[in-house]
Amino acid sequence: MALKTFRHGVHPAASKFTKDVPLADFPVPEAVYISLSQHIGAPAKPVVNVGDHVLEGQMVGEAGGFVSAPVFSSVSGTVKKIVKLPTAIGQMVDHIEIENDFKYEPFRLPKLENPTKEEILQRVKDAGIVGMGGATFPTHVKLSPKDPVDTLIINGAECEPYITCDYRLFVEHAKDVVEGTKLLMKALGVEKGYIAIENNKPEAIKIMKEAANGGVEIVPLKTKYPQGAEKQIIYAVTKRVVPAGGLPAQVGCVVSNTHTAYSIAKAVFEGETLFKRAMTVSGDGVEKAGNYWVRGGIPFTFIYDTLRGEVEECMTNKVINGGPMMGFAQADLRPVTTKGTSSLLFLSHKQFSEVEPTQCINCGRCITHCPMNLVPRDLERAVIKKDIDRAAKLGAMNCIECGSCAFICPAKRPLVQAIRLAKKEIRSRGKK
Amino acid sequence: MAKYIVSSSPHITSKTTTQKIMLDVIIALIPATIAAFLIYGLYPIFIMVLSVGSAVLAEWLFNLITKRDQSIKDLSAIVTGMILALNLPPVVPFYVPMVGSFFAILIVKMLFGGIGRNFANPAITARIFLMLCWAGVMTNFVKPIDLSDGMNLFSYFENIVNIKLPDAITSATPLAAVKEAIAGGANPAEGLSALDMFLGRIGGSAGEVSTLAVLIGACYLLVKRVIDWRIPVLYIGSTVVFTAIFFANSGYVGEYVWTYLLGGGLMFGAFFMATDYATSPKAPLAVTIYGIGLGFLTVIFRKFGSMNEGVSFAILLMNVLTPLLEKIVPRTFGVKSKWITNSQKIKEFFAKLGKKNKSEEKEAQNG
Repeated sequence: MALKTFRHGVHPAASKFTKDVPLADFPVPEAVYISLSQHIGAPAKPVVNVGDHVLEGQMVGEAGGFVSAPVFSSVSGTVKKIVKLPTAIGQMVDHIEIENDFKYEPFRLPKLENPTKEEILQRVKDAGIVGMGGATFPTHVKLSPKDPVDTLIINGAECEPYITCDYRLFVEHAKDVVEGTKLLMKALGVEKGYIAIENNKPEAIKIMKEAANGGVEIVPLKTKYPQGAEKQIIYAVTKRVVPAGGLPAQVGCVVSNTHTAYSIAKAVFEGETLFKRAMTVSGDGVEKAGNYWVRGGIPFTFIYDTLRGEVEECMTNKVINGGPMMGFAQADLRPVTTKGTSSLLFLSHKQFSEVEPTQCINCGRCITHCPMNLVPRDLERAVIKKDIDRAAKLGAMNCIECGSCAFICPAKRPLVQAIRLAKKEIRSRGKK
Repeated sequence: MAKYIVSSSPHITSKTTTQKIMLDVIIALIPATIAAFLIYGLYPIFIMVLSVGSAVLAEWLFNLITKRDQSIKDLSAIVTGMILALNLPPVVPFYVPMVGSFFAILIVKMLFGGIGRNFANPAITARIFLMLCWAGVMTNFVKPIDLSDGMNLFSYFENIVNIKLPDAITSATPLAAVKEAIAGGANPAEGLSALDMFLGRIGGSAGEVSTLAVLIGACYLLVKRVIDWRIPVLYIGSTVVFTAIFFANSGYVGEYVWTYLLGGGLMFGAFFMATDYATSPKAPLAVTIYGIGLGFLTVIFRKFGSMNEGVSFAILLMNVLTPLLEKIVPRTFGVKSKWITNSQKIKEFFAKLGKKNKSEEKEAQNG
């Protein structure tokens, strides 16, 4: 049988160097900086005062609205002050500085044995669970779809090069991921839950197949980028097509991340709030590349200094939060870890591309590789001509910004970058 | 503070570059070049050297004079030069490839904005231009050097390394024979050998005669995914279909099909020229129209035209149609086909109409 997949897409080198490194606890600095904006939506509102003593896992910021999530202290200690720091995407955001007393006195929510649908939903909200693949959309919002749904898909494609934290969760915590999936299914009231994994992770597929029970099915997918994109994974698993501009719920699907499922299991059965996560650190710039349990609020500088080892500083030329296809390049290492920090890559010149764009040769590779079936070539031309109306007409807003076009382009043209510009322009027009 | 490089994602790109693609095309043209050498001797190679040299020189000069960045290192001028040389009769005066290359590069390519922006395939347009300039020279095809002419291996070798203009022993091309058959109603395959045509032991353009060599190069391009397989498959397939249709009453359908397949520049044109990036459409529907149009026009030109060959004209015409075909945009993932939405609208309309009728009936009953 042919493996399930979507149409078009590209094949970047996997570069999963850290795949066999087990998850280890990452050391904690003397002070952590808990970001109040760790999710899409309204920032959290601080609920502690300077001088307060807080426990590990205690809420320090409450949800600032429906599309928002609370944030938690990752250590026990004293609240020092509120500081402005840049986030990994470059916004200046309030962070709560907490001095670490290195006691890690825990704060836990009550454990739930056999929770009802409502209890699960409430717990997801209280534990501050968000989509942990990187988009950090509050999960309780996703679990309240407007349309009836019948299918849950757990996205374990991990199609971005380098990143291996979801793979480690499958291998080391298969049971928790399955339990989390079942909780999500219960919260949504669906019978079918699929855990989709790319077939370049045979060990994960094997372990998960053994662990799967109660309506949870493991679906191996063809290894192809962007297999983990929401609309693409829905198509791959169910052959349903999400309408352009629409949401997965319109075709009866909800997609959630592997780590999200794991964290829900932890939140429900152990009462643990979301204050730490699994994260991959990789690249030529660090000696101790691997997978780590990283608490929230740890500055990237600390991570770099801890893992750099004997490697020269000049070996790090580009720092990426996220994967190399869609991640954000960092100007400096001031940002801190958050719920969405799935990976941090310290890349040398060899590991990323630095090529000058040349003239388009009209080969059409961007068109034949676009998973959304757009025409990046024409979109870029429209943007260069500043013809935003044409870009909008060509469906710029349907672009999922996966970067397949810019990846495959032989002339190395900044195609997705141009489309991003068009989207920004179209959005700002809509606001006027 | 700007210690690290910051740029918008993606941070990695594929290893494919314009230069590598062009290098692949050059490699794919080598079998046809070797075939030309083995069939006609060193003279076509000499022509190719002139053609490639002039093409590169033309591009270099153009960039120099117009103060542009040098673009010759993308190797595309070499590709144009090679394709043009392989499109010419094996023996032509030295100035023919030079004029052709200058025309192809300067007029067709650089004046329209360089690589990717030419309005038609430069080599094909140059070939047609040369045909208009020197019709006699461009249709004068020499006989292949043949061992069967009482030649031994040594004299064959002596012959193929001979650069001086060979005695013009002109030979009729298979398509000329087919043309006569069309007029006379005879068997077009009379006196033609399929094996000779497949291997290239016939009269014709230097690079087009050996179907085998062209196919070897084509396989390389397909394996390396340099060209879109749909264009040559649709082109060749539709040529077969239209030949069968147009010659249905001739009584020699099979003969017409295989002589048209193996004769002339169909194979070379389908794999190396119709697939030119700049002048072929990209959307699946547009590619289908393009491929079928090529096959249709080729058969029309070959059957009804005054010339024996129709591939160049078919490709040129479809090239010119490409900007129009490019208006066909692929349907975005998640956007419903117009057929479906329209049929839904029609259904809804009738459903409404039905309801209205019923309510009217009710009203009528009540009234």
